[in-house]
Amino acid sequence: MATNMYRVGDYVYVETTPNCPYLIGRIEELNKNQLGNVEAKVQCFYRRRDLPNPLVQLADKHQLATAEDSPLATKLKKTWLRTPVSEEQAAQAVLDPSIAALDEERTSPTNQTGSSGSAASGGNSGGNSNTGSNNNNNNTNNSNSNSSSTGTGSGGTSSGIGDTEKGEALTSKQRYQIKHRELFLSRQVEFIPATQIRGKCSVTLLNETESLQSYLNKDDTFFYCLVFDPNQKTLLADKGEIRVGSRYQCDIPAKLKDITTDERKLEELESLVWTPEHSLTDRKIDQFLVVSRSIGTFARALDCSSSVKQPSLHMSAAAASRDITLFHAMNILHKHEYSIEESMSSLVPSTGPVLCRDEIEDWSASEANLFEEALDKYGKDFNDIRQDFLPWKTLKQIIEYYYMWKTTDRYVQQKRVKAVEAELKLKQVFIPQYNNTGVKGNGANAKVGSSSTGNIYNGTTNGGTDLSNSGKPCESCGTTKSLQWNSVNNGHLTCRLCQNCWDYWRKYGSMKSAHKGDINDGEAKKKGALPVATTPTPTAAAATTPTAVVDLNDEDKISDLTNRQLHRCSIVNCGKEFKLKSHFARHYAQAHGIAISSSSPRPIMKTRTAFYLHTNPMTRVARVICRSIVKPKKAARQSAYAVNALLVKQEFTNRISGKSQAEIKKMLLLKSKDRGSVTKIANRLGAPGNGPHEWLVLTPKDKIPQPLVVSFPKPPKAPDGSLVYDRVPNKSPDVVAVTVEKELSIIPTQATSTIRKRAHEEQPLNGTEVTIVPSGPPAKRPNKDPMPSHCPSPEQFAAMMAASGQPLSRHHLNGKQKIAQMARGGNGRKQVISWMDAPDDVYFRANEAHKKTRKILPAVDLRRAARKPWRTLPIQPMAPEPSKRPIESQIVILD
Amino acid sequence: MQSHSKKRVCYYYDSDIGNYYYGQGHPMKPHRIRMTHNLLLNYGLYRKMEIYRPHKATADEMTKFHSDEYVRFLRSIRPDNMTEYNKQMQRFNVGEDCPVFDGLYEFCQLSAGGSVAAAVKLNKQASEICINWGGGLHHAKKSEASGFCYVNDIVLGILELLKYHQRVLYIDIDVHHGDGVEEAFYTTDRVMTVSFHKYGEYFPGTGDLRDIGAGKGKYYAVNIPLRDGMDDEAYESIFVPIISKVMETFQPAAVVLQCGADSLTGDRLGCFNLTVKGHGKCVEFVKKYNLPFLMVGGGGYTIRNVSRCWTYETSVALAVEIANELPYNDYFEYFGPDFKLHISPSNMTNQNTSEYLEKIKNRLFENLRMLPHAPGVQIQAIPEDAINDESEDDDKVDKDERLPQSDKDKRIVPENEYSDSEDEGEGGRRDNRSYKGQRKRPRLDKDNNSSNKTSSETSSEVKDDKDKADAAEGEDSPGSNNNSTSQNSSAGGGNSTSNNNKTGDNDSSATGGAAAGGNSSSTKGAKENNI
Repeated sequence: MATNMYRVGDYVYVETTPNCPYLIGRIEELNKNQLGNVEAKVQCFYRRRDLPNPLVQLADKHQLATAEDSPLATKLKKTWLRTPVSEEQAAQAVLDPSIAALDEERTSPTNQTGSSGSAASGGNSGGNSNTGSNNNNNNTNNSNSNSSSTGTGSGGTSSGIGDTEKGEALTSKQRYQIKHRELFLSRQVEFIPATQIRGKCSVTLLNETESLQSYLNKDDTFFYCLVFDPNQKTLLADKGEIRVGSRYQCDIPAKLKDITTDERKLEELESLVWTPEHSLTDRKIDQFLVVSRSIGTFARALDCSSSVKQPSLHMSAAAASRDITLFHAMNILHKHEYSIEESMSSLVPSTGPVLCRDEIEDWSASEANLFEEALDKYGKDFNDIRQDFLPWKTLKQIIEYYYMWKTTDRYVQQKRVKAVEAELKLKQVFIPQYNNTGVKGNGANAKVGSSSTGNIYNGTTNGGTDLSNSGKPCESCGTTKSLQWNSVNNGHLTCRLCQNCWDYWRKYGSMKSAHKGDINDGEAKKKGALPVATTPTPTAAAATTPTAVVDLNDEDKISDLTNRQLHRCSIVNCGKEFKLKSHFARHYAQAHGIAISSSSPRPIMKTRTAFYLHTNPMTRVARVICRSIVKPKKAARQSAYAVNALLVKQEFTNRISGKSQAEIKKMLLLKSKDRGSVTKIANRLGAPGNGPHEWLVLTPKDKIPQPLVVSFPKPPKAPDGSLVYDRVPNKSPDVVAVTVEKELSIIPTQATSTIRKRAHEEQPLNGTEVTIVPSGPPAKRPNKDPMPSHCPSPEQFAAMMAASGQPLSRHHLNGKQKIAQMARGGNGRKQVISWMDAPDDVYFRANEAHKKTRKILPAVDLRRAARKPWRTLPIQPMAPEPSKRPIESQIVILD
Repeated sequence: MQSHSKKRVCYYYDSDIGNYYYGQGHPMKPHRIRMTHNLLLNYGLYRKMEIYRPHKATADEMTKFHSDEYVRFLRSIRPDNMTEYNKQMQRFNVGEDCPVFDGLYEFCQLSAGGSVAAAVKLNKQASEICINWGGGLHHAKKSEASGFCYVNDIVLGILELLKYHQRVLYIDIDVHHGDGVEEAFYTTDRVMTVSFHKYGEYFPGTGDLRDIGAGKGKYYAVNIPLRDGMDDEAYESIFVPIISKVMETFQPAAVVLQCGADSLTGDRLGCFNLTVKGHGKCVEFVKKYNLPFLMVGGGGYTIRNVSRCWTYETSVALAVEIANELPYNDYFEYFGPDFKLHISPSNMTNQNTSEYLEKIKNRLFENLRMLPHAPGVQIQAIPEDAINDESEDDDKVDKDERLPQSDKDKRIVPENEYSDSEDEGEGGRRDNRSYKGQRKRPRLDKDNNSSNKTSSETSSEVKDDKDKADAAEGEDSPGSNNNSTSQNSSAGGGNSTSNNNKTGDNDSSATGGAAAGGNSSSTKGAKENNI
């Protein structure tokens, strides 16, 4: 459905208010907002009728001026169009003697161009007499200008260019209609919901080679020549100019006779880097390129900093195949006059094989991290990035790096963010065909006839006139038959229009043919000019705008199906749209709790859990009596807890039997708790002057009760006030120590330890058997510490960096580098994950002893322990392990 | 014509050019030239042509066209001393579209150096085709930067070519009008400028069908205004006949083709729908004339397509077929997801109907018929002497001496006749141009937030100021008058009654209020005005 597919750049009709002509605009952007609704940003075009009257006159003048090719006319145009015009001022401007003089001046040369003269002067006089902002005059003025333009064409301009309009004189009817096709571009932009779009049209800049007739011949085509500024109220020609004068043109050098006279020396202008004039074959060059790449690979193997970064041969080879190596090889070939031998030896000088590195390879991992961090912070402001993050790089290096970085995987993530943004910016949107009847239902006064569609239907099929219109003909075309009648508020009087004319009115902003009250001249002519439009037969109307007349049956079908107007939720921040009203109502009820009365008696919403519990007095009594069995508190906490209904029943019958009715009634009464009157409390709280309450005063610091045990004591302060942290020691010996000591401490409380999921977590928590506190402050997330075998200590890291000749930046992540590790994912494929992002790499492995202890423990205790791991288990192991084998908290490293 | 003859192709490239950066969010990316270069290497085209590293054009060379002041300014401006040059920046239109960036002058030097060296190369007949993808900056004016262009390398190149070529043809297939080049040669008959471009509410606003040159240069500027969505077929249908006709009537001795790649489909700023093939066809067609041929770059803001296009066009110049499969290179990932050389057009509608193009073509043919050596007159061997006479006259005159009166008159006439006297003023030279506030690239919210904070208080404000200035300058006393009334009316319905009394005209004041409101709420007023 190409017709309903709207793209950025399309020109569209937009319904802003139901009973007005459409707004015409160009879709600039289609944006999806958070709610999933599409909003279109449209650049607005103005119609002639939207312009203030004086500007309309100006527009006419302009049309007149453009019709002539003389520079004088252009000058006039410039002067006029630049004049900002408000209402009275325009009148002044028209009367302005200087401009009037210009007018005179203009007419005199045009008079010489033959037949066009009279027409032009006619237009001129029209303009001059047009001091008021009378619409009628506008019309005449316009028609005059049109005739003058055709006149110019037939008369032939000084350049002798055959005007395409030649010979096609516009009838006055056409002249009237062409005004509706003229638009005025504005730079005003409006945001409208895409659902208001009502179809496509085409707006083009009028080119003087085109005939206006061609616009009339096609539906939905408009043209523009001028730009309207709604704020300043000015009209401008949207045209730049090429300036003439010594300050704009260049001095043309004379043609030299002889090549030798040129002082230019090519050697100064260029240096040769490569020439195809050599004896090497393509194959030889290719071979040499391969050789240079392999030398590069070898050089990387020798180079220790490279071998750290590119641990595999593959990676070295890939790095050696980058374009910089190839360019270097080509340069070497050229330098050695295309001798492979010499070039080869220069690739392997005595200092070792040549190593060409580009920026992406040259940068260390930490620099790369810095760059990404900076990019995050500053965007692509490379100057700032350089200043604040990478001052040791040149701007050019950073830019080169940036463009190469964009090819890496790291960029992909960023791209994804962009993709999400781009997703919100749509390129095209499908808007289902809009059904006219929907609007009329909305617009209260749109439909004149109070008759239902059925009535109209009858009217048309019977071939008789529509009764609802009480026999009055359409104000525009005079037809008495129409599917629907619409009223148009035309200034002082309300007109009644048939469907066709109404469509025309909405699209073009005016009556199809000149309105009676509108035109005082040549009406009869107009009628004669376009008989098709004025004949009051439906067939003729169908011929002009075939789309408007639809078989009513079809129309009904369409409206019953999906093409209905969308229902949009009016709640702020919602705005969801629904095709069917019932869906819409359900949405209201479900999402916003608003019931919308619908004509249907059926409930509008189906609740998912449509039941409620009715508690009769008996049940309530039962609850009170059998509280011990029902355990209401527990039942409330645990929804899965099953109340033994049978038991309750039994107990209830037992206990209720002896009770009198009064007693039962008493039981049912709720004993209210005396909490005091709310008003009293409120009054007391509201009363001022009670002074600061005791309980509001802060406890002085020294009186705050100190905890018995400080789990995370503050480190001591250095003389300069900074906190002195103990160095976190290398983990490897520590871990050993902990496990050893644990053996001692854990034994008496074996049961506890079996329940703990992670051996290390209980250390600070399980205060009872405290024997060890790891030296130094406990880490908050010990399991996040890198395992000794994998992550270098900060010292080691620094040493590593020093060895690789890279400066240790102050930004590195606490000495941890985002070193990627190879890991095997579940699917068995190798995958590089950064250890920073890797899941916890320790787990607790239960051994035989643990399992045994678990078996000893009753299930309830196990569960309780799971819920409250900090509690010591009440039950001591029945029989200590004969083997006395300590439980080893084995830490297994996942890799 | 030998269409598939192997020609000597010289290619100008400086490995530094990719590292100039116009600024955050700026669509112009010199990096595309480097991407092209890497593609050329990996396609094996590199080894088939002469590769030159151009010199850096000197200020002297630039002043062959540009004003001394302007070049001096370009040479001295840097991001860190921008504040000292505020006034000059405004005067030379440097700041927004044409930002000051690091190495700006060097970039201009390299771009201009390549085109000048290429032109000299052609002059010396040391090559048949020269390519400088770093050039093609066709908007730059004599003393004004414009549309991402600072130094007009094309004009400098053509000036060089004119030393040994009687007539030089300039063809511009950038989506923007080649206004800088057209203006530079607007009054000469030795250079014909032919520009195919989008026209209408589009940068730079010039390039109307009616702009045909002035003075001696009348009919030597050919403008083909086009609408959105030009596709390969439509483009060829207008390019081929017009260029054929131009070649026939103008009979140039050398051709410069600006290959701006923003006319490709999917360009960030462009609105045409050409593919790489369709774009390359223009090169192929011009190449067939076997004239000394200078190809320069230009626009192009979807850089992966730009490098595709220029790579392909280099292969066309070399008459070498290259595979559609892109070879691996440093920037291979840019060309995903298909990694193909050729691109397919989008489904956008072509607003250029064939009759529209036909009419344009006919009108231009009429214009071309006005050329002195039109075939209607007679096809002659270039009437060199006749034209040379005048230029020789110029030569004989000592430049240091005062000009003879005849010469003076010659220079004065066109100035008076074709330029608005008001437009000659210093500040508001182009004050009547509404598109002036318009930028070449659509404004991005992002830029405004970050990079352009200082350079301007958002372009819209600038535009407003300009328009106000227009209003004030247009006519003095009514101008102020207008301001007050427009304020009145824009204040809305409340004021409209007072307006009514003033004007005694119900309709107009109501409309005034309505239009000031500008949107749907005001349509009631507008309606009254309907008939």
